[in-house]
Amino acid sequence: MEKFKSIIRDYPFIAFIIAFVILAFVPSVVFTDVYQSHLATLIFVNIVVAAGLNIVKGYCGQVTVGHVGLFAVGSYTAGTLFLYLGLGFWATLPIAIIVTAFFGVAMGIPSFRLEGPYLALATLGGGEAIRLFIENGNFFRSTFGISDIPTPSLMGYNFDSPDRYYFISMTIMIIAVYFSFSILRSGVGRAFMSIREDPICAAAAGINVKKYKILAFILSAMFAGAAGAVYAHMPPGYIHPNNYTVIEMVTFLAMVVLGGLGHIWGGIIGAIVITIVYDLTRPLYKYQLLIFGLTIVLTILFMPKGLGGFIDRYFLEKRFKKKTGTEKTT
Amino acid sequence: MILKTKQLSKSFGGLKAINKVDFELPKNEIRGIIGPNGSGKSTFFNLVSGIYDSDPGSYIEFDGHDITYTPPHEIAGYGLSRTFQLLRLYQDMTVIDNVMSGYHTRVPYKFFDAVIGRKKIWDQERAIKEEMMELLSFVGLADYAELNASELSGGQRRLLVLARAIAMKPKLLMLDEPAAGLSPVNVDNLMKIIMQLKEKYGLTLIIIEHILKVVMDTCNSVTVFDHGQKIAEGTPAQVKDDNAVIEAYLGKKMDDEEMRKALAV
Repeated sequence: MEKFKSIIRDYPFIAFIIAFVILAFVPSVVFTDVYQSHLATLIFVNIVVAAGLNIVKGYCGQVTVGHVGLFAVGSYTAGTLFLYLGLGFWATLPIAIIVTAFFGVAMGIPSFRLEGPYLALATLGGGEAIRLFIENGNFFRSTFGISDIPTPSLMGYNFDSPDRYYFISMTIMIIAVYFSFSILRSGVGRAFMSIREDPICAAAAGINVKKYKILAFILSAMFAGAAGAVYAHMPPGYIHPNNYTVIEMVTFLAMVVLGGLGHIWGGIIGAIVITIVYDLTRPLYKYQLLIFGLTIVLTILFMPKGLGGFIDRYFLEKRFKKKTGTEKTT
Repeated sequence: MILKTKQLSKSFGGLKAINKVDFELPKNEIRGIIGPNGSGKSTFFNLVSGIYDSDPGSYIEFDGHDITYTPPHEIAGYGLSRTFQLLRLYQDMTVIDNVMSGYHTRVPYKFFDAVIGRKKIWDQERAIKEEMMELLSFVGLADYAELNASELSGGQRRLLVLARAIAMKPKLLMLDEPAAGLSPVNVDNLMKIIMQLKEKYGLTLIIIEHILKVVMDTCNSVTVFDHGQKIAEGTPAQVKDDNAVIEAYLGKKMDDEEMRKALAV
């Protein structure tokens, strides 16, 4: 066991390959109908977005409420590329990631001057502007939405149903989570956290604050772009501006906050829980926003570090007690 | 000379917080900076470390680099580290992360290696962590490594800030009131640790301190600020008897004639 642990520590991607293999068997073993595969794909898309949002909001501390706009950019880049150039998934995915990265830069520039709620307002405007631009542009098929975006195929095998598309979304999710883990566990993640805690002190400690802020925005935009492209190509391949409203943004925020702001698993735990709860409460759609708003408020009040921080805390207190023999409860 | 300023000035509106200060500091010296509140000591630190931009006509040189208009992170890259009067701890980070983030300028790997997550990254990260744990146990915080910085006591926070500033292996360390709010025993302990660290890393130190005992006992030389100007400089003994210094702290020395006049009014 110790040896296995040290191997994982040196080559973390092995753990991700194991996760891949386990997840690959889930549809055939656990799922009973196609809808569950579809839900799983949604969870994976949300995980990618939330993992990206956790970089910029949880780790770097930049309160962005326009992230759903970046998600829309990813989707519509994929959608329009298919619509006008007939490109497939394998071409639209990388282009969507790159295009969204540029939008991430634009979204990040206000963070040089603005902080907290002011930055939230600016990015909210940015996100909404993107959606309105799409909604009112004939180029983007305005409110008709883009339909029949094809599913990807690989070597003659077409991932054309939810239970097949599951593998595409799952692979992208695993890769994205792997990247987010490596970034956040390295010195880059620490630099992000120092900027969140105290930008002036971070600068005095040799961290280029502007560079790392914009880096956080670019990285999280790339995650959102990848998620957007995966979402656009998801069967039945239909995207509509209404899928990218502030309500979706609140859901993404609820994921990161519930999972734990600045916790490495934060976005992932949150995305799983919130997506499932969102699906289960569909009959109560009138109250969904109320539920998620309440979730955010209650989590911040009673569990400021989210589920991830809560679990961490439990084990930390145990370890501390073992080490020093004293209680540490604050 | 590791640090040199010429005609260093900074005004906030009409207030001249720092007024034409010439300052020179040789290597391996421990320089104390004293002065009444509002005399410009902390502003001097902020100017040197690049947090504020100095007024036109100023010149700051650090270790052979002209850093007059260099952004703070580059100055830190040259090897200048500082602490803050209000500590500016990273409250929501663990103690070990606090110290490791001080290591930033020395992190050996490139960003893309980190994204890909190569083995060499994790080896180096572990080496950094080990080194920083050593530093933490040196200042006596090793047991608290995994706790949040906000859970430490006041004295421990001061030690943590010190460890974080040392983590980058600076050439010059600027301490802004390292002992403020500590009990006399803790002050002695802290100064002992600072002296040991100085020996260990070959530091040059500038210390702002209000506790005069600390300054008089540990510093090789002392600079006195008042109203943004340097009013005296020399060994602690010289400064102690300097008339300008006594005036700044206690008011003017009067002879009998003047005293009589003052009391009559």
